[in-house]
Amino acid sequence: MSLLEGLQILVIGLGTVFLVLISLSGAVALESRIFSFLNKSKKENPAAEISTTPEKSTVVNASVGELKLIDVDERTAAMIMAIVSDESQIPLSELNFKYIKAIN
Amino acid sequence: MTYSLTDTLIRVWEMSGFANATWQQLVMILVSFVLIYLAVVKEFEPLLLLPIAFGMLLANFPMTGLLEGPLGDQPGGLLYYIYQGVELGIYPPLIFLGIGAMTDFGPLIARPSSLFLGAAAQFGIYIAFLLALAFGFAPEAAAAIGIIGGADGPTAIWLTTKLYQDLLPAIAIAAYSYMALIPMIQPPLMRLLTTQKEREVKMEQLREVSKAEKIVFPIVVATLCIFLLPSVAPLIGMLMLGNLLKESGVTDRLSNTAQNELMNIVTIFLGVSVGAKAVGENFLQLETLKVIALGLIAFAFSTVGGLLLGKLMYWLSGGKINPLIGSAGVSAVPMAARVSQVEGQKANPSNFLLMHAMGPNVAGVIGSAVAAGIFFALFG
Repeated sequence: MSLLEGLQILVIGLGTVFLVLISLSGAVALESRIFSFLNKSKKENPAAEISTTPEKSTVVNASVGELKLIDVDERTAAMIMAIVSDESQIPLSELNFKYIKAIN
Repeated sequence: MTYSLTDTLIRVWEMSGFANATWQQLVMILVSFVLIYLAVVKEFEPLLLLPIAFGMLLANFPMTGLLEGPLGDQPGGLLYYIYQGVELGIYPPLIFLGIGAMTDFGPLIARPSSLFLGAAAQFGIYIAFLLALAFGFAPEAAAAIGIIGGADGPTAIWLTTKLYQDLLPAIAIAAYSYMALIPMIQPPLMRLLTTQKEREVKMEQLREVSKAEKIVFPIVVATLCIFLLPSVAPLIGMLMLGNLLKESGVTDRLSNTAQNELMNIVTIFLGVSVGAKAVGENFLQLETLKVIALGLIAFAFSTVGGLLLGKLMYWLSGGKINPLIGSAGVSAVPMAARVSQVEGQKANPSNFLLMHAMGPNVAGVIGSAVAAGIFFALFG
């Protein structure tokens, strides 16, 4: 193997290490955000917490994790979800919110 | 049948190791004494260096047949069978299982950018690879030599076994010796590449990481890394399994076994096996000296890579990140993180960098496993 080929492997190898670890860093950051969001909505919306059993709240968190918020803060979103669940008499564990968007 | 005392004594002498030893074996026995001294008296990575040194001693006694494979109905030597765990790539992943069970990835989860430092500190691997090629080593051998720069013994052993077994003892001894010498290798480079102002930086306290995050982390890492690079599965898979056993909180017995009994048993077998490969005829060559020299270069450049990215992050963060934590991106857990702590405290006595350095430090374990996986994918 020539030095030039070795140099190519240096670039490709180190580049791949960075690529894998940057992806990992992104995944970990995303994981942290999801958990921090779930914790925040738990703290900010005690009503939702009270109205659900601990088992249900876990599932609620899972569905909240996939939710997109457009011009809506997390507190409002949590309240909306709790209200929809209460009004429709459908447990939050069976509701799947895709996004909540503010309409002006 | 008559026996003469003289004939018997002559026969005993002829069959003894004294009459059959080669000069290479005698030199290797002396080398093993030196390594035993370093392990016992100087405490250089004694948990592994002592079994390596004793394996070397045993393997260089003449006429023992310890390393010989089975011949017909005759079973092979003891070390031949113990070595199968290395040959088949079993011991290093089992060591990773134990490491995973002992590692707290909390600091890394709290600051995911630590992973960048873990990647930058693999720089030395590729510099040593390039230099090894320039020295005339085959690409497989050059890759195995380069991985010394990952400062991770099991990874170095795993890759060398897969790519170029002849260099195994030299690479393993170089890797573990330099890991033990990190407190001497890194500080001069750290002082050379950073300013007093940078070293004095006090970093903000890391946020608290929830149990759920810690449980999900090994699953995310294993899934993502192995999907991206399937060749890292043995190392990353076992590392993350060990970590999940620890963090799940429901398998304490398994976690304890992985980090204590299993780890200790495998360490003994791994050390003795690696030492047993250091047979005089193979080890006493110019190539061994080249490997040892390249290993030092690899360590140094890995440290430099981590520090330089640390400096960049210091600059980008507006002086919030102390670049000294970059050098901990070489694996060598927790030695490299401790060095960052010591150097940081020398610059500013109220500085506590240990937890901040643990992030890049454990990221380095993942980084070096990924680098090894890339080499294996290319040359395996």
